[in-house]
Amino acid sequence: MKIVVYLGTGGVGKTSVAAATALSRARRQADKSLVLTIDPALRLRTALNLRERTLEQVVPLVPPGKGELWAALLDVRATLDDAVNMYAKKGQADRILNHPIYAQIADSLVGMQELMAVERIDQLSRRGFEYIVVDTAPSRHAIEFLDKPMAFADLVGSGWVKLVGRTYQFVARTGMMSLGRKSMDLYARVESLLGANLVQQVLDFYSIFVSIAEGYARRAEKTVALLKDPAITEFRVVTTPQKALRDARFFFSALKERGFPLGTVYVNRVWPHDASGAGGAPGLESDVLAWYAGVRQSHLHAIEELRKEYSGQPVSILPLAELDRDVDGLDALERIASQLG
Amino acid sequence: MSVQSKIVVFCGKGGVGKTTLSLALALKHARAGRKVVVVTSHPIPELAVSVSLEGLAASDPAAAANLFVVHFDPRDLLAELVRKNFPVEWVAKAVLDSHIYKSLIEVAPGLKEFYFLARLQQLAERKAKAHAAAPDFDLLFWDAPSMGHFLSTLHSARSFETFLSGPLAVAGADLAHFFSNTSRITVFPVATLEEMAVAETVEMCRALEKDYNLASAAVIMNMVSPLSKATDKQMAELRASASSSAVLRFALERAELERKRAAELLIGVSTRPVAVERVKGWRSDLDLLEEVGKSLQPLSEML
Repeated sequence: MKIVVYLGTGGVGKTSVAAATALSRARRQADKSLVLTIDPALRLRTALNLRERTLEQVVPLVPPGKGELWAALLDVRATLDDAVNMYAKKGQADRILNHPIYAQIADSLVGMQELMAVERIDQLSRRGFEYIVVDTAPSRHAIEFLDKPMAFADLVGSGWVKLVGRTYQFVARTGMMSLGRKSMDLYARVESLLGANLVQQVLDFYSIFVSIAEGYARRAEKTVALLKDPAITEFRVVTTPQKALRDARFFFSALKERGFPLGTVYVNRVWPHDASGAGGAPGLESDVLAWYAGVRQSHLHAIEELRKEYSGQPVSILPLAELDRDVDGLDALERIASQLG
Repeated sequence: MSVQSKIVVFCGKGGVGKTTLSLALALKHARAGRKVVVVTSHPIPELAVSVSLEGLAASDPAAAANLFVVHFDPRDLLAELVRKNFPVEWVAKAVLDSHIYKSLIEVAPGLKEFYFLARLQQLAERKAKAHAAAPDFDLLFWDAPSMGHFLSTLHSARSFETFLSGPLAVAGADLAHFFSNTSRITVFPVATLEEMAVAETVEMCRALEKDYNLASAAVIMNMVSPLSKATDKQMAELRASASSSAVLRFALERAELERKRAAELLIGVSTRPVAVERVKGWRSDLDLLEEVGKSLQPLSEML
């Protein structure tokens, strides 16, 4: 199995490049290739046949590829619901799903998207997908994708959460006395700060959620081990000329800190045509040509700077041309795929 | 001088240029002698690697003295609250270090966002300082997080009424009231003329108006081509000469897409547009901010 993880900030075309990568694999290799996307534009969503809430969809290719192209949408809430239904103890699933805290947790718990991506990779790897392309959240924080599952495992594994999880029902009847004097004192202070209602709700939620969280933490540990294996996982960055140097520096060092190599930086949306020497009729036409030439020049300059910075290092820096229209269908993805190298 | 600072919000999808626009407009006002602060959603070290004000202190010390950039880390804000409530240092530390506290603030829905808003309000009402040496500001620019998080931040003031029973519940109602008043808050949604950015901006503007009573003052179309100003006649002329030039064809194709997207945006948000042309090249970030600032005069006139 191979996993390709795309990192990048907003507006760089990461989802399109990720989809084109899976497409390119399906064209060349006789296996099941899948792109896991987060929030594709409507037209791309249609092109990828993404209608169902959680299930992977096969994308019909004309002409057919050697392998199959599949696409799936990472829906945080739906993935979490699935995990609850699949792993919660008997009778607990409904209590979790209907809990007022649960209703908000999918949106508000920091890094929930990253946690669910890891959960989803685990599910997919067990369904026979040999090539999985992951499109992460459009932010520099997406790199925490690699830390969050562990932080979450620590949190649910902590003695206190286990204690609350297991004893809350008992404690709810007998009062906080059973927590011990020091914990009780702290509890009272936190409660006075946040209000009793909120604290009760959160504790109650932990008490029923802890059982599935423990199972989640075990699976996450396995998946993160796959992501940490350079023979299986490759990290790539998508950026634009304006942000190229800064994004590359950031992701390069953030990956290095965590012990991962950075494979490729795609500098996307580079204006494609050479404009030097284009004069044009005076007035608007020559203004537009001069403007185009200026922007194109700054794009080339940015790539040159990036290559200089990483010369001699095992990072490929590859430009991808901006298309003259929206990425609105498979033919646009084919055009990107042909440039991927 | 008014007794409170006006809050100016730049909001929209990630990557549309909110930070650059916030800094450009702030710089313009700082140069004009007003005291301004930019509250950014990026941690400062990260901001420094996106757009920087490097060189300002040397080239224009007066403007540099008027311009502040701050980032609130919600965790620090909450820690501050704990310290205020438990003035004895070891008690505060015991609470902050406890698993009880850590697990609760991580999972409590919207708590950090709620505190962020409260801090923004205090800063605008001049009940708090950005830091000890900071002056009272005339204008407060909020470089908002990308759309989803921005709306959930605004929402936190309300959702908290349902959860909170402690001292924070009262603050929630006040906060919700504060952040639904366009006499204090000027909202500038930012979009680039692309499918996703336009669709998200339309959705965001509707939510702002319907749920928060915040009508947008103007919508910014960022990084447009010089052809956005062209008349239909000029476009037709260019099309005639485009057959011989791949560059011109590319520019025209994109300009036509932009015009289509601009029309969709303006139907969707029904507010006045302000176009900011894509800068064709710059030597330093300050140059870029200066250049962008020139297109922002219509916004300055609304503040």
